[in-house]
Amino acid sequence: MKIKIDGIEVDVISGETILEAARRAGIHIPTLCYHEAFGGQGICRMCIVEVKEGNRTRLVASCTYPVNGEIEVKTSTPEIERIRRNIVMLLYRRAPNSEFMKKLYEEYGRPGDITPSDPEESCIMCRLCVRACEKVGANAISAVLRGTEKRVSTPYDEPSPDCIGCCACAQVCPTGTIRVSTMPGKYEIWNKAFEMDRCESCSRPFVPQVILEHVRSKLGPDFTEEHLCPDCRKKKTGKIIADSHLSK
Amino acid sequence: MSQLSMNSTATRTILVCCGTGCQANGSMAVYQAFRRELAGGAGTEVQAYTKSTGCNGWCEKGPLVKILPDEITYCRVKAEDVPEIVASLRDGTVVERLLYRDPVTKRVYRSHRDTNFYKKQRKVALRNIGEIDPANIQDYLDRDGYNALRKALTMPPAQVIEEVLQSGLRGRGGGGFPTGLKWKACAAVERTPRYVICNGDEGDPGAFMDRSIMEGDPHSVLEGMIICAYAIGASAGFIYVRDEYDLAVHHLGRAIEDARKHGFLGKNILGSNLSFDIEIVRGGGAFVCGEETALIASIEGNPGEPRDKYIFPTEKGLWGQPTVINNVETWANVPVIISRGAREFASIGTSGSKGTKVFSLVGKVVNTGLVEVPMGTTLREIIYDIGEGIQKGRKFKAVQTGGPSGGCIPENLLDLEVDFDSLTAAGSMMGSGGLIVMDDRTCMVEVARYYVNFLAGESCGKCVPCREGISLLLETLTRICEGKGRLEDLDLLESLSATLQQAALCALGRTAPNPVLSTLKYFRDEYLAHIVEHRCPAGICKELTEFYIDPELCTGCGRCRRNCPADAVAGEKKQTHVIDPSRCIKCGECINNCNFQAVKVK
Repeated sequence: MKIKIDGIEVDVISGETILEAARRAGIHIPTLCYHEAFGGQGICRMCIVEVKEGNRTRLVASCTYPVNGEIEVKTSTPEIERIRRNIVMLLYRRAPNSEFMKKLYEEYGRPGDITPSDPEESCIMCRLCVRACEKVGANAISAVLRGTEKRVSTPYDEPSPDCIGCCACAQVCPTGTIRVSTMPGKYEIWNKAFEMDRCESCSRPFVPQVILEHVRSKLGPDFTEEHLCPDCRKKKTGKIIADSHLSK
Repeated sequence: MSQLSMNSTATRTILVCCGTGCQANGSMAVYQAFRRELAGGAGTEVQAYTKSTGCNGWCEKGPLVKILPDEITYCRVKAEDVPEIVASLRDGTVVERLLYRDPVTKRVYRSHRDTNFYKKQRKVALRNIGEIDPANIQDYLDRDGYNALRKALTMPPAQVIEEVLQSGLRGRGGGGFPTGLKWKACAAVERTPRYVICNGDEGDPGAFMDRSIMEGDPHSVLEGMIICAYAIGASAGFIYVRDEYDLAVHHLGRAIEDARKHGFLGKNILGSNLSFDIEIVRGGGAFVCGEETALIASIEGNPGEPRDKYIFPTEKGLWGQPTVINNVETWANVPVIISRGAREFASIGTSGSKGTKVFSLVGKVVNTGLVEVPMGTTLREIIYDIGEGIQKGRKFKAVQTGGPSGGCIPENLLDLEVDFDSLTAAGSMMGSGGLIVMDDRTCMVEVARYYVNFLAGESCGKCVPCREGISLLLETLTRICEGKGRLEDLDLLESLSATLQQAALCALGRTAPNPVLSTLKYFRDEYLAHIVEHRCPAGICKELTEFYIDPELCTGCGRCRRNCPADAVAGEKKQTHVIDPSRCIKCGECINNCNFQAVKVK
């Protein structure tokens, strides 16, 4: 099936979203809550595009709109740009405290005469962290409360028993809101401290005990490999290779 | 007491209204008193039995007691009045002091049916409410109950859908989508199981249409759902009802049990191939769960957040399966369409909106309550004929329709014939049918702020335009109400509103600016008075209000002085009174209580 995006013919698989089709064809649509690993969430509405289907024209979120027929898409119109500027304004008002948002706000020409509600806030509620946590299988964080109070947290803001300290949430966060504080032999995320296990060879702390247990539980009892830090593992592997060559 | 020309030995039915409104005014005590009295005293000579019914709609005059077959209606009945009523039944008389007396014409009405409040109404969805005991299935059966289902089961399913389509029934929950089309689309999807859902998550401030139906006539909702299940081939149904609706949950639960016992639910319903059952899901009271995709998410055990509806629930609904979801009032209309035929139903209403609509008429109107009128009835008829005008003879200012997603309609549009399309064209919406009447003591900027504030707490908070847009709308409106508004704020309100309408994820967000836009459209002068003149013409926004007493009009009656909680009014009896602005807390008690319109807003 073919659709037209900004006048360019693009091949699409039925059911694929407009955004996926556009990305494949190298057509840029701005997004804030999209990550190819998780699919569309329809949260930020930056990816709004105009879809013409027959005689009907409407604005849709390209990250969730599945293509099922012949459509023409415009990724930018004066109306769409106005919406995007307002979204950037609203998000900057909410969360001005990150390089990411500051840059975006400048890029869109500093829209609106607004005073940020909380100069310390940096979370834009894109919820990529929540999706990452889901994908990892931990489901330790979620969007809590509702309305203007909505935020991301662990249940009842308590350290979550489900958090495995993988830090995928912090990794995927575009604004650096999720902090990982490191201390000797341990680190803390979402108010939960993770003790590091030490390398069996050099005694350097290198992996959280919880993750080690998580991985071991997945690998089963047959996994008896000693646990080494990346450096020691490299050394060990190098030695094995070297020995096998030398013995030839 | 006056003599009655009727047979005093006939068996009477005493219907005590036990809707939530009447219960709050003590109707359960009245009901108990009747039962006690009839078991002894004067009652032993009277052949009568007592029933508790659902809401009669005339909540302003409750608790209501109706006597059949005499067709007598008593208003504001107290338990103390019961012995007198029972004695009157024995003697064949009427307790005149409890009858409704028109405050203007002084005419006394024996039956509620002849009053202005009921005369212009046409009961379809509310046909049984107030007439039956909702906890007794036999009452429903006696009034033709479940005969529509029997009839539907003799028709091919496609014909049932066709009948609903031809009736022109549109969803009563607010969207106004043609119900028949929805059923047809769902039946056309090959995958099974299919599901039927009843949306009972009524959450608009001041609305109680659906609650009254679920409380007062639960079987009509069940019958509608069972007919749909047959038409689309569904195997399971869910009624999503907010947990605060305790009586509704209770009556629905009882109705489901009784329907099962009578073979209307369960395996091979009435000997047919249809097997279908219904389960109640109690909601946590989130307004957003009235949005169908959020409601579905909530039934599935997920947070009540909507999703983009590019694929309708009829194709991918509950647990990804084809689902028909309709509102309580829509379901209650279905049995009528099947039993009396699409043509008769379609003969009521306007060209685009068929049938009747139930409204909860509240606010500053004389007769508050629940009314059902044909589509196309004008707002003026509803407010002035049925509602009998504005309380305390004050001036009408606006009527808010459609709840937080609706808008405010001004006086010059009162002759608007109410249907789905006319209200939308006027910048408001039908919504689920709330009508809040506002008088001249209402500040329209504050009204907009009130609704936006409601939505700030009730938005699901998922998409940026809704969560952040509403937050900025609220900040801006609050600023204007506090007298710190700027003229540019009006442009900001309009620009933000446009973004919400175009880009928000669900209907809640897309309609959230309606209270703002409709007040800006019809009451812009009030916004300007707040911003430019720094005054609130209605005298509501405290920072912008100053009351004074017009010496020409003041009679020195002292009502304002006696009602002032801050001792800010001074004056001798029969002398002009004066308000001390430094002591005044702007509560408005003086202006609300003055009978001579002598208290003014500067």
